[in-house]
Amino acid sequence: MMNIEFSFIIIDDSELDRYVTQKFLERTDGGLIIKTFSNATAALEMIREDQCEECKTPIIILLDLQMPVMNGYNFVEEFEKFHPKVQKNYMIIVLTVLSSTSDPNDIHRILTHPVVNSVIEKPLTKEKLITLLAQVRSNI
Amino acid sequence: MPEKIKILYVDDEPENLVGFKAALRLDYQILTAVNVPQAIGFLNEHPGIRIIFCDQRMPGKTGVDFFEEIRISHPLPVRIMLTAYTDVESIIDAINKGNIFRFVKKPWTEADIIWAIAEADKFYMANSMLAVKNDELQKAYNELNKFAYSVSHDIRGPLSGILGAINLARLIDDVEEMRELLFLMEKSVVKLDTYVLSMHDYYSLQRGELKITEINFNEIIDELIAIHTISSIPNNVTFKTSVKQDEVFLNDVAPLKLIISNLLSNAFKYLDKTKTDKSVELNIEVKKGIATIYITDNGIGILESHLGEIFNLFFRSNSLEVGSGFGLYNVKSALVKLNGNIEVNSVLHQGTTFKVTIPSI
Repeated sequence: MMNIEFSFIIIDDSELDRYVTQKFLERTDGGLIIKTFSNATAALEMIREDQCEECKTPIIILLDLQMPVMNGYNFVEEFEKFHPKVQKNYMIIVLTVLSSTSDPNDIHRILTHPVVNSVIEKPLTKEKLITLLAQVRSNI
Repeated sequence: MPEKIKILYVDDEPENLVGFKAALRLDYQILTAVNVPQAIGFLNEHPGIRIIFCDQRMPGKTGVDFFEEIRISHPLPVRIMLTAYTDVESIIDAINKGNIFRFVKKPWTEADIIWAIAEADKFYMANSMLAVKNDELQKAYNELNKFAYSVSHDIRGPLSGILGAINLARLIDDVEEMRELLFLMEKSVVKLDTYVLSMHDYYSLQRGELKITEINFNEIIDELIAIHTISSIPNNVTFKTSVKQDEVFLNDVAPLKLIISNLLSNAFKYLDKTKTDKSVELNIEVKKGIATIYITDNGIGILESHLGEIFNLFFRSNSLEVGSGFGLYNVKSALVKLNGNIEVNSVLHQGTTFKVTIPSI
């Protein structure tokens, strides 16, 4: 696969899910810069401090919704407080377990935020990832 | 002797009030009011009033007016109308507007009143029980809601993680990488299993009767040491225990073990991995029929703002160590069952102490 000029931030409280997502991405392109976070607060902190110097923009944030302490919804709300100059370097893609018990309104609500590009249902597969990357490329 | 039924009687003629009180005060607690404002004053002061008798014909306000006025502010007491006149109009009004339970015709006999009180009290009790059951139902329903959420997150979450891992495994040729993946998958499966087990604890605590036996805390501790040294030795944790028990202690061993075991697991789970002198201590003392249990660690501590919430179902304070949100809730439920108490003291980055007191039954 041709070289892709962007980076990834994975935010997920599940260690296994972080590992799987990261490995999938690495298999797609060995040269990708990937940062992982077990909690949304630390990820926000990094974005605020702009610590990812080696990151190539745009930076794709793969965000889990159901997490303790700060969930995905709160993360998006906090993210939107950043300066537009900062925001434009990022694209948020929600990666979450969808089920009949999770309120469809919630999923709809998260998509109303302009910074949220799309929602992908877990579990991740190679096919979903390829679709995702194609979509990101068409958006750049 | 059970408390006397509290009754309010409203009548504008003082001699009626005196007669009523004289006839009934031995068996009931009677409050009397000569007008509506005084009656409302009594209702505000004595929320325990169960039955109100009221005369229909009073100057200013009729009995129906009075009952209608208090319909919303004091809905609980059962209303009985005393009336000498059997005019249909006021009876219809009383039933429709005043929410009247019964009529007693004036002049009344003691037997009429006692009968009316007995019936009204039954009605009052049935209503109160209904309110209590409704509350319980609402609570159960709220918990069910939380459950639905938890099933999606705590059961489907790990499952979809494992499914994703299987998808990834299909692409992996390297054995080392595969081992790494299997290790993480195993952790997810163990977590899921722990979750199902604590869900079982949760149900057995909600139902089930207490099975009282003589408790030997040394035996309990030996068992717990065996379980927890598995995690303490490889992680270089100092695990100290002490028991002082010179008297017989009666209790149900299952919830008792659940309490101590959950708190110990937490103590081990939330140790500070960066510290070299990691320690967990368990001290039990039985004195004058009360067991006091201290579980102390020098771990990561709990945020002060979280201390009030840690006993709530599905509350998770920390994202590094993923818990089910069942543990401390189960501890609290077990303590409620055993009539015990728990206090927590914690300083962030320094450690946490839980103090549990449980009486002998």
